[in-house]
Amino acid sequence: MKNNPVYRREVTVRSRSFRLPLVILIFNTILAVFSLFSMYSTVAQVRVSAQVSYESFLQLYAFAATLEFLLLMFIMPALTSGSVSGERERQTLELLLTTKMTAADIVTGKLMAAFDQMGLLVMSSFPIILLTFVYGSADIGGIALLLVCFATTAAFCGGIGILASSVTRRSTFSNVCTYGFLLLIVIGTLMLNQFVLQLSEMRISEAAYQFGAEQTVADTGAAVYLLLLNPFVTFAEILSGQISGGSRLFSLSAFLGARPENFVTGHWTAISLCVQAALSVLFVRGAVRSLGKNRRT
Amino acid sequence: MLKIEGLKKRFGNFQALSGLDMEIEEGALYGFVGPNGAGKTTAIRIITGLLKPDEGTVEIAGIDALREPRRVRDEFGYVPDEFGMYDNLKVREYMEFFASAYGLDGLVARNRCEELLAQMKLEEWADAFVDSLSRGMKQRLCLARALIHDPKLLVLDEPTSGMDPRTRLEFKEMLKELCAEGKTILVSSHILSELAQMCTDIGVIDAGRIILSGSMSEILQKVNESNPLLIRVAGGKREQALNVLKSDERVRTVVIRGGEIAVRFGGTERDEADLLRKLVGAGVAVSGFFREQGDLESIFMQITNHDTEKVVLRSEE
Repeated sequence: MKNNPVYRREVTVRSRSFRLPLVILIFNTILAVFSLFSMYSTVAQVRVSAQVSYESFLQLYAFAATLEFLLLMFIMPALTSGSVSGERERQTLELLLTTKMTAADIVTGKLMAAFDQMGLLVMSSFPIILLTFVYGSADIGGIALLLVCFATTAAFCGGIGILASSVTRRSTFSNVCTYGFLLLIVIGTLMLNQFVLQLSEMRISEAAYQFGAEQTVADTGAAVYLLLLNPFVTFAEILSGQISGGSRLFSLSAFLGARPENFVTGHWTAISLCVQAALSVLFVRGAVRSLGKNRRT
Repeated sequence: MLKIEGLKKRFGNFQALSGLDMEIEEGALYGFVGPNGAGKTTAIRIITGLLKPDEGTVEIAGIDALREPRRVRDEFGYVPDEFGMYDNLKVREYMEFFASAYGLDGLVARNRCEELLAQMKLEEWADAFVDSLSRGMKQRLCLARALIHDPKLLVLDEPTSGMDPRTRLEFKEMLKELCAEGKTILVSSHILSELAQMCTDIGVIDAGRIILSGSMSEILQKVNESNPLLIRVAGGKREQALNVLKSDERVRTVVIRGGEIAVRFGGTERDEADLLRKLVGAGVAVSGFFREQGDLESIFMQITNHDTEKVVLRSEE
């Protein structure tokens, strides 16, 4: 990747910008202030009650990880959605396309530079997250799984951004398309499942009322599988596995209702990560294809 | 160096190129001229691989540009009408970025960059940010960038637009130097007079096809031949001169312009000498006998406005 000219240029330019250090500073300050206060309050409580609430440390870990995840979902599209369209607006895309670089070189260079920046942000916050390990927290495997989830989500969001950027002419429109699509994936699939679940509950209650049938638990049917596309659900599922009772609100069971276990629901995390990774590859391939067409349309 | 045959391109209902044929010899400084919307930029975008034609072939340095687009990119450098700058890069970094985009790295790239920056008189600005450069400097940097991989052909799309006269002159001199070094240059403009001063060859494009092409001297000769003969008569013998002219079948029209007689004459230089002899033989005191000087701009207007005079000119070709 170091030999990719686009990547090298992006890194050079970004290293000169004040934006990244500022984002790192603000993000880590928020995270540190909250974590330290939370730790202080927990320890103070121990002094008064002589009872150690380990759950509060896990909640602190969940908070830090969630904040990081949300930031990743918010920043990664911003880093990629203007990358190719920005070149087009600067009138430099045509110059790049007349060089020996392939469309794939340009797209991967842009994506990797965004990954780098995101990685820096995530890594810089690690010391603060590690604070939660002072009194015990998730295990190494759990942390590794969380990192895999972060990487997949970054690729997924970045892939959407770079595809939108390659397809559209203006960065503003590309931004709107990227965030719109992400909202559809994250909020849309959740809302659809909630809607279907409520419909199912209503139907069951009606049946129970009319025929005196035995009350069963509602489910969302096939709509639940749409959540495989939702990185937030995957993240919540990972977190709920690490913090028992700490993050059940977003766990899959809240959407599955009484659905019996099957292979997909049994391996939800692995399958959803694979689906999102596969989609990321498709998005990047789409961006490369679109740029290739740009070269000769 | 560049050979284009039967190039066609349509955008919706608009036929941008309708069978463009063009050939540029190695070492030529070829002026590609035509009014706005004539198809210059479309042709250039096809040559540089940024646009796919509906029909036709493009060959650069013997390589089929449409079949081997990646290979052909080594053979040309492209300067678009917009500079295409990364303002937050330094001049040297900008050059090195494009060097690596062409596969040059390390010392080779660095040396090539230094060499080109010196050639374009930008070495003092090597550590300045690109956005601090003037328009003329940016244009020179753009030219240096296009030369980074030492291409045989340079394609420049309206490179002097927006430049002040001095910068324009310097830029033209630079192109002439590059041409003298053996580069083949295709430069487009919608101002013929701008190209006439520096180009060795010229091609006039209108409605998507070349309507006039050749070496600068050939075209100037054509222009001159289409211009009227101007005859000055001394000693009040104008009637006598008119009688001689009317009786000559090579004379098409005769117009009196102040003190001169303007004659549209369809003949060679030898015929012109013969006419002069006739006039003198008839006792006309000829004090002036010459062709009106060629004005490229007016012929360009005639051709691209589809003037009726153009038809006369073309029939003579």
